[in-house]
Amino acid sequence: MTDTLAPPAAVTPDPPVPPRRRSRPYRPGQPSLVAKIVRTGLLLLGAVVTLFPFYAMVVLSFKPAGPVTFPDSLLPWPFSTEAYDQVVGAKSVLRWMWNTVIYSVVSVVGVLLFASMAGYAFAKKRFPGKEAMFWSFLAMLMVPYHVTMIPTFIIISELNGVDTYWGMIVPTLANAQAVFLMRQFIASLPDSLFEAARLDGCSEWRVYVSIVLPLIKPIMATLGVFVFLWHWNDFLWPLIVGQSLDMRTLTTGIASLQQENVPLNMLLAGSVVAFVPIFMAYLIGQRYFTEGVSTTGIKG
Amino acid sequence: MVALPAGRGRRPRRPSAREAGTALLFVLPFLLLFIVFRFGPAIAGAVLGFTDYTIGGEAGFVGLDNFRRLVEDSTFWSALRVTVIFTALSVPLSMIASLAMAVLTRRMFRGVKLFRSIFFLPVVTSLVLAGVVFTWVFSEGGPWSQAMGALGLPAGSWLADSVLVIPALVLVSVWSRFGYGMLILLARMQDIPAELEEAALTDGASAWQRFRYVTLPQMRPALFFVAIIETTVSFQAFDTIYVMTGGGPVRSSYTLVYMLYDQGFKYFDLGYASAVGVALFVLTIIVALIQRLTLGREK
Amino acid sequence: MRVQKSLSAIAVALVAALAAGGCGGSDSGGSDKKSVTMWIYPVIADEAKHRAYWDETITAFKAKHPDTEVKVEIFPWANRDQALATAIAGNKGPDVVYLIPDQLPKYARNIEPVDAYLDDAAKSDYHENVIKSVSIDGKMMGAPVLTSSQPLTCNKKVFEAVGQQTYPSSWNDLLAMAPAFKAKGFDITSYPGDIKNTLNLTFYPLLWQAGGDVFSADGKSVAFDGDAGRKALGLVKQLVDGGYTEKSLITTQPPVEQTRLAQNKVGCVWHSPTSELEKFWGKENIKVLPPLTETKSVAYGTVGSLSMLKGAQDKKAAGEWIAFVSGAEQAKKYDLSSNFFSAKKSAGALYTSDPVLGEMEKFVSTTTPGPLHEKARDVQGVLAPEIQAALLGKKSVDQALSDAAKAANQLLG
Repeated sequence: MTDTLAPPAAVTPDPPVPPRRRSRPYRPGQPSLVAKIVRTGLLLLGAVVTLFPFYAMVVLSFKPAGPVTFPDSLLPWPFSTEAYDQVVGAKSVLRWMWNTVIYSVVSVVGVLLFASMAGYAFAKKRFPGKEAMFWSFLAMLMVPYHVTMIPTFIIISELNGVDTYWGMIVPTLANAQAVFLMRQFIASLPDSLFEAARLDGCSEWRVYVSIVLPLIKPIMATLGVFVFLWHWNDFLWPLIVGQSLDMRTLTTGIASLQQENVPLNMLLAGSVVAFVPIFMAYLIGQRYFTEGVSTTGIKG
Repeated sequence: MVALPAGRGRRPRRPSAREAGTALLFVLPFLLLFIVFRFGPAIAGAVLGFTDYTIGGEAGFVGLDNFRRLVEDSTFWSALRVTVIFTALSVPLSMIASLAMAVLTRRMFRGVKLFRSIFFLPVVTSLVLAGVVFTWVFSEGGPWSQAMGALGLPAGSWLADSVLVIPALVLVSVWSRFGYGMLILLARMQDIPAELEEAALTDGASAWQRFRYVTLPQMRPALFFVAIIETTVSFQAFDTIYVMTGGGPVRSSYTLVYMLYDQGFKYFDLGYASAVGVALFVLTIIVALIQRLTLGREK
Repeated sequence: MRVQKSLSAIAVALVAALAAGGCGGSDSGGSDKKSVTMWIYPVIADEAKHRAYWDETITAFKAKHPDTEVKVEIFPWANRDQALATAIAGNKGPDVVYLIPDQLPKYARNIEPVDAYLDDAAKSDYHENVIKSVSIDGKMMGAPVLTSSQPLTCNKKVFEAVGQQTYPSSWNDLLAMAPAFKAKGFDITSYPGDIKNTLNLTFYPLLWQAGGDVFSADGKSVAFDGDAGRKALGLVKQLVDGGYTEKSLITTQPPVEQTRLAQNKVGCVWHSPTSELEKFWGKENIKVLPPLTETKSVAYGTVGSLSMLKGAQDKKAAGEWIAFVSGAEQAKKYDLSSNFFSAKKSAGALYTSDPVLGEMEKFVSTTTPGPLHEKARDVQGVLAPEIQAALLGKKSVDQALSDAAKAANQLLG
């Protein structure tokens, strides 16, 4: 899998002076009642189509092993937790969860830090090689994962990073899409702020810390949730780098419980167990990007 | 998106050494990581395409042999065709779905945030999991086949039909990706100055006309960004295909990445696999350039 | 721009040097204590039980070799080739790893023959066919610890429901019984044709039963397109065309419990392990029979063995560990815990009291794991889609086989 992406959320550019005004929400031409009904209908249809597989996943995981028929199996009975007993009962689950938390959280911090720094430079600064660098970031996204997997592993192993947290984390910090998105977001912050700060004699680092960071909170939250979720779900890289049992993550750990032919309910149960914590994180973080950010405006 | 930052009035002066220096310092950590863990391995991967490297063997330089073999390999051309068709179907469909949902969730009415988060959920779901569930959905007795039968369309497992398998996989791909495009387009939509649309409204433009002549042109950069990313992702689709069809029936869902995987990790012929990787990379670049020419003209 | 260019140049040179310079040179141990690392997979279904077995085994081993540390890592079955291959490429592989014959040719360059580490008594204790199935060029590439056999297994309940008193012993029997099964709403057998499945389990047994083989005697060309191959593929085609087997299984692979097999709608199969069948048929309904005969009676059976990687830190210690684990006594324990069969003659019959396993055990010495050819997997990769094409009616049997043979022979050079 390629790095996954987080959506950009651009701030509505305000006129330079005075800057503090909430951008106006989209309001031209209120839709008619008919339009509203059609809209709601379409959205409900979309929601059902989107959610149906999740519903199926959860319901089918709480079934005893056996054939799945439609539509009967989609009803929540017969109910059985046998698939979960096997997964949750594994004594190393806590260890796996801990490893996954470290892998995900530290990666998020690292990605946010480096991507915001680089994004700031690309958005607001001038330096030689900028365009070339930018295009090469984009181009490297187009290299298939399986091709770079082994060379990356070789590099990590030469650096003695196999079976270590940092060996797992560090290669994933080179997240070009995060940089793109930071750049896009920061680019729409008014230059006047930076001018003012520079005139005040702030060092570049202070500008970054005191002006950029607070203002990009929404995109940090969005990107953070996204990067977190991607790391949480990651299977292949932790499998390759985390060789010893102590370093198993939730995904690889649960897979090591499974036989070659995994029954559907157990497969889904394992996935649900891995999914629940991130679903919580998702619920917490999603409000940042679903607000569309333009209603947040720039705060002083 | 690939334009230089759209600041208000670009200053024509060249950067001072000091400014360039501090800028580079900010970029440095990411740049180093990128060079070591992305650029380096990519180059290594490309270099491997010119060798006969196998697992644990030595890498002997063989020049263009792998590429010559690739050109003569009918599996390669079939995989190329499958990849192109798959992408040509899934990217536009995904973008249309993203655009539609962005439009529908544009206004701040009650419950809109809930809808947005629902639509984004598939994007953060593991593709393997999606593959497993959808294998059941498309199976002979599954909901999709039943629904198709009721509508008089071909029932029976679409995944077992060498023509319908691609549309089935496209549907899964669209389901899992449309939320991402939706949020990008949504963010861009909300960036469009309300005055423009209001002006059109007072001029008597209908909702559709406003959309077509004001909104859509304004969204060009975002559309371009989504197009490139979705194409890149589509070209590299693997996990769901692996789980759902194994490349079948009879290779009709066997993509270039699948071939790469088979050559590299089933047959351990990494040199040849890397050659496939290079071909895929070149293909992606070409398509990206085409997209740039047609969609990506910067404002 | 210049800064970036030179940085890239350095990085490229560095990586190129790393990759091309090869993966030679194992880590220098430097410590007094000897250590052995082994990778195994969930052979024993219950993880806790599996873990407990290895803890016990390590303790027993240490009693005999107090200065050797042993670490056993249980890896998932999923993506195991990717994990292992990457580890070997990065010189971070284990010392010992569990491999099946299918994998041996691919890793042949990376593993050591184990003949030197097993004593003669141990080697002669192995069944003939078991030794053959792990040998390349006459050298044993792994020390077998377990075997399986896949003769014919039939569902008593289904046969009763159809009113069929006798069980099939030949291809003709199968075809003769098929219509009666169909009439009552059952399938006589099932053929999983998804490309992900190994042909060793599905098509090759038929090929062997017809007296044919995958490769020619010298291994330089393929032989599956001969008469035997045509007969074998013809049989499956007849089953498919007659509607005697689940059509969707030709191309897709749903989880087992979703198939008609699990719903007790299938008469006999030769590709499903009894551990699976037990769950759905009930042990009392499994009837084990000799493999079908056309010209010969042959079944597939796998062999699980422990191989030593060339990059092993301490080959002597690793060899001692392998010898210990694959020893008659120790391996017997493993076999009993995992419901597999022994690779050794001295173990005798492990499951005399078990009607199902006891029967299957009898066939162990006549099974074959398939050809141990370096390009065996590659050949499967071109043959399986052609088989699908023939079964789906897109090509004739002859056309499919000859197209496959053409492509396969190209691979063989």
